Amino acid sequence: MNSLHKSIVFIIDDDIAVRDSLTMMIEQVGLNVQSFPNAWIFLNTYRPVSFGCIIVDVQMPLMDGLQFQEELLRRKIVLPLIFLTGHGDIPMSVRAMKAGALDFLTKPVIREKLLASINTALLEAEKRTIAIMRNEQITLRLSKLTTREREVMTLAIQGLSNKEIASCLGISHRTVEIYKSHVMHKTGALNLLDLTRIIQRHNLD
Amino acid sequence: MTDELKQLNFQAFFDIAADAMLLADNSGKIVQANPVAQRLFGHNKNELEGRSIESLVVPRYRKQYRYYQSLFFNNKVKHSMCVGNELVVQDYNHREILLDASFSTIETKQKLYILITLNVADRRIQAEKALRISEERLRLAKQAAELGIFDYDFKRNIVYWDEQTSILWGKRASKTVSYDEFIDAIHPEDRDSRKSAINRAMDPAGNGEFKAEYRVVNPVSSITRWISARGRIYFENGQPSRLVGVTRDVTDQKNLQKKLQMQRNETESIFKQQVAALTASAIAHELNQPLAAVSAYGEVALHELHNSFPNSDNLKRALEGCVEQAQRAGRSLHELMAFLQKGELVTKRSNLNDIINDALNAVNLDYYTEFYPILNLQQDLPDIQCNCTQVQKILVNLFRNAIEAMHTIKFPTLTITTTMYTTINMRMALATIQDNGPGLNATITDRIFEPFFTTKPTGIGMGLAISRALIEANGGQLWASSNTKVGATFHFTLPFAP
Repeated sequence: MNSLHKSIVFIIDDDIAVRDSLTMMIEQVGLNVQSFPNAWIFLNTYRPVSFGCIIVDVQMPLMDGLQFQEELLRRKIVLPLIFLTGHGDIPMSVRAMKAGALDFLTKPVIREKLLASINTALLEAEKRTIAIMRNEQITLRLSKLTTREREVMTLAIQGLSNKEIASCLGISHRTVEIYKSHVMHKTGALNLLDLTRIIQRHNLD
Repeated sequence: MTDELKQLNFQAFFDIAADAMLLADNSGKIVQANPVAQRLFGHNKNELEGRSIESLVVPRYRKQYRYYQSLFFNNKVKHSMCVGNELVVQDYNHREILLDASFSTIETKQKLYILITLNVADRRIQAEKALRISEERLRLAKQAAELGIFDYDFKRNIVYWDEQTSILWGKRASKTVSYDEFIDAIHPEDRDSRKSAINRAMDPAGNGEFKAEYRVVNPVSSITRWISARGRIYFENGQPSRLVGVTRDVTDQKNLQKKLQMQRNETESIFKQQVAALTASAIAHELNQPLAAVSAYGEVALHELHNSFPNSDNLKRALEGCVEQAQRAGRSLHELMAFLQKGELVTKRSNLNDIINDALNAVNLDYYTEFYPILNLQQDLPDIQCNCTQVQKILVNLFRNAIEAMHTIKFPTLTITTTMYTTINMRMALATIQDNGPGLNATITDRIFEPFFTTKPTGIGMGLAISRALIEANGGQLWASSNTKVGATFHFTLPFAP
């Protein structure tokens, strides 16, 4: 829970009273809250934060909740989303959940449910942040590889033997071994299998 | 007088007769031909006299004529040749003429003469043919229109009818039917209305026209058919004597009408359901936001009380929020009910420019610096008479629409103008709200005030419909001008205070 205290809960709702009351409710448990009357203002003022989540009303002028969700994906903002809706619109909630929403709550929202949802969202945010950090680390490590090392690595994770790599690149068997040990050292991979896993995950993210 | 007539000789009578006449002797030779006969054959007196009658007959009919002539001489009674056995003669031009001929004998002491009176048969045949054609046409027309005929004789209390009508009544063979039997087949529920239609037609002050629709139950098959009857009362010595008219089977038409009505009712009920659902959705939207806030403020207060040292500031703020939002919900509900019920409107003297500024402030709270307002407010504009809350609500709605329309514009500008609007017979305050968004095309402008019409993905399309209704309730007008160059423009007028 320590990291939660550094996190920010963003509220986006066009109704000033809803924003104010939810802000009070969330601040009561010691979380930081920032609220916005519409999605554009949020997007225009948002600076990446370490941990956080967004509570957003589905029915909003200018940009509705689902459009906002798409915009976040486009801008690679990975903050978990909790949707609030006036009436439980099932097809809409299915769409939102499929697009990766964390929860879909009906207004008036029950405090316990909202706080539980925020808790899950912040844990998810932490996971996502850690994954991103690890990914960034790997990117950094991979960037240190020379062109030759990168070529050797690509062929190695495709399952080619040292001999095959050597003939493929037109270099000696011994040189391939040296490049390969550089790759293992720079990426911090324990073995070839570990290297494959790191690269795969990196590519996926 | 009769003595004088006795003086008239045969010759004079023969010459002035209107019909063509030939006098022949017992050998069939023409002795005399009167002027009409001369004209008929196109021969003069000399040419005809001395000629045999047979020579006037068309050659191919001569055998038939000879046979007929011999019959006549054997039995000398007056005889005529007509209808199907006409005399076919030819004139000087060999043109064939169909004649009705009447043969009579005139006996003198010395000799036997035959007087032949001739009538052109064509005219009779043509008249007969015309009648037949006319009857046939009537029959075809009746058949095509599926019309039956009835003739109700009041005195004898019977109905004459044609086949078509009798079939409808399930009595194929009869040519007449007693009136009681006629009535028996009519559906009991429809007898009274039919009777009163007849009574209306019998009113000497009216035009005598009879028009009724009723059901006839076939006594054999028990099938019910709808009949449309039209007719006319005929009067004899000022007394109604007959009702003559036509009947038509309109069962299919009736069934179709019934089906259409059912479909119409269904469509209407679906539309009503939709309107109800949309109205409910509008009410739900208006109420849910304050309810959500009341609930959240309430839980904040409750949670605060669980603390060992409740923060009284937070408690106060939360409870104030509760009260305010509950009040807001109530106000929304009352406004909506007032709109739906069109209750009495409370108006007061107010300044339009002030209302505009208040509305701008309300919108600013929600949108911060999302747009740049340009105010061209006429400072010495006289006070208006209106319901301020409603007008402010309308303005906020118009501003919000404009801001939403301008969200992709770099410098969203809202130009608000107030001025005096003068026509020949009135003066009003005019407000114009113009944005610099993409504007409205003509199609949208036409429909934009329709209830439930919306261009927004999450809108329910009631904003402008309600706004227009409210402005009209306040004695003004709300309209949009369609222009795509300078953005959308909305105008409304409001009456000045007395």
